[in-house]
Amino acid sequence: MATVREKGYYHWDGQLTEARFPWWPITRTGILLAFKKRGFRFLFAGAFLPSVVFLAIIYISEHLGDFKFWARGSEKFITITPGSFKIFFTNPGFLFLMIAMLVFAGAGLIADDLRHNSLQIYFSRPLKKTDYLLGKMAVVFFFILVVTLVPGLLVLVFKVIFDGSFKFFLDYPWLVLSIVGYSAMLAVFFAFYTLLLSALSKNSRYVMILVFMIYLFSDILSGILQGIFRTPYMSLFSIRANIEQMGAFIFAQKPPQAIPVVLSFLVLGGVCGLSALVLHRKIRSVEVIR
Amino acid sequence: MSIEVKNLSFSYGKVQALDDVSLSLGDGAVGLLGPNGAGKSTLIRILLGFLVPASGEGTILGYDIRRDQAKIRRSVGYMPEDDCFIAGMDAVTFTAYFGELSGMPREEAMKRAHEVLFYVGLGEARYRLLDTYSAGMKQRLKMAQALVHDPKLLFLDEPTANLDPQGRNDILELIADIASHKNIRVLLSSHILADIETLCSSVVILNKGRLAAEGRIEDLKATDVSLYELKIKGDGEAFRKDLESMKCRVEETEDKVIKVYMPADRDRMEIFRAAARTGAQIRYFIKSQTSLEDVFAELVGVD
Repeated sequence: MATVREKGYYHWDGQLTEARFPWWPITRTGILLAFKKRGFRFLFAGAFLPSVVFLAIIYISEHLGDFKFWARGSEKFITITPGSFKIFFTNPGFLFLMIAMLVFAGAGLIADDLRHNSLQIYFSRPLKKTDYLLGKMAVVFFFILVVTLVPGLLVLVFKVIFDGSFKFFLDYPWLVLSIVGYSAMLAVFFAFYTLLLSALSKNSRYVMILVFMIYLFSDILSGILQGIFRTPYMSLFSIRANIEQMGAFIFAQKPPQAIPVVLSFLVLGGVCGLSALVLHRKIRSVEVIR
Repeated sequence: MSIEVKNLSFSYGKVQALDDVSLSLGDGAVGLLGPNGAGKSTLIRILLGFLVPASGEGTILGYDIRRDQAKIRRSVGYMPEDDCFIAGMDAVTFTAYFGELSGMPREEAMKRAHEVLFYVGLGEARYRLLDTYSAGMKQRLKMAQALVHDPKLLFLDEPTANLDPQGRNDILELIADIASHKNIRVLLSSHILADIETLCSSVVILNKGRLAAEGRIEDLKATDVSLYELKIKGDGEAFRKDLESMKCRVEETEDKVIKVYMPADRDRMEIFRAAARTGAQIRYFIKSQTSLEDVFAELVGVD
């Protein structure tokens, strides 16, 4: 290690300013750090796979004549409707890929700061707790929106291009809002879900397991309880089922479970509320042991 | 005045951490001393706005500690006691990141990060991952992040903790340079009295949440007692009691040196008379200088 004062200290002649978006450096750094993680780029690319498949289906649906030999008898299955978008956005494989992405990109967002005592340096800066949390949440927003909102809107544009007319767009003018609304709600839910778990432990590996296992276990538990009690209300225990209910409502489709959709919104909102409470209590500049 | 607080109080539940502390600190380096639980870290945390005082008021660099927290944090640098870093980052990115969070433009923060990392001696290691840094390097890194936005006041919490002698000397040299030549005020909290005595011109001593003493070290050391160090042969206990009856404070070190703190108005010959009375033979006698350690022991009541 070199001796101190290899070079002299010079005063900085600039002016410190009040940033308009003080959370932005936190978000940018969180995104860059996620891409530095081994295997994450592969996973991130993989999360676009459902979008590519959906795009291919749209292309086939618009060029059925070219695919007669292959699509015989299945025309009705590949007719694109808002229901197709709902299936794309809420299919379990796609949601699973998002969770896998969050395991790498989101688990350490707060856990690593707790582990390495970084909160006190964050808050020795002109930074509010809301700036810090918004910065961390925006990392999750970015990853979720980039694999849902962006492909969703692009797919809609390609549908119009392949169709050669605005008919589909004019038939379902609300579809854009549905895509934006669903993506935003999903991003908000996953942001709260990931940060809640990330704030519960100083060990990001433990948080990675939690993010993954709670999502899967809630589904398994719901299945077991439905088997025992024979009531669709048990699907409220499943994160995936609640997201599907929410998606069906937003895309104006029949909900897969025969229960009021408002209950699923309440469950997802409850998780967000719990998360906000935990984050408020856990994120402090100093750990006060009373 | 860089820091001025009046009647500051804070408690963790039933534990009173700061009790009616008032102080006024000027320029240069100021030491913050006190045994464990004295309230040093609590005071720094209140000054940084991490904790809200139950009562009292104060200003840092003219900014109110309750109302102007953002301005205070923009003007001060903080080097915490614990290891702090962000896994997966290198030193340049880390330092620039906190510069940017302080309000520096991104490019300026990056440029400045290189400069301060060279200044603290991490120039060659600035692209290494922080996870691979040694304890000494992490101390320097904390110093770099505290300096990156060119603060007017530095809070240093135990800056030489867990360092080897060479690393400690390096950090002390750095702090001395900052405090004496760079026009940056320093509040240095440390358990190591020698560090404070080397670096600081004035000191604040806290004990059990209260202000025990405040002022220039030279003034505090110029107490109204004379210090003598001696070794004896004979009945030490009787000799000790005799001296204590003359209002002297007597301490014995591990190497059997007896330190006698005698009121300045008394004659040193009384020590010899006490030895004669109790049958103790004085084998070594020297008039010593009171150190910060003696002042600390006197005020806080510990060795």
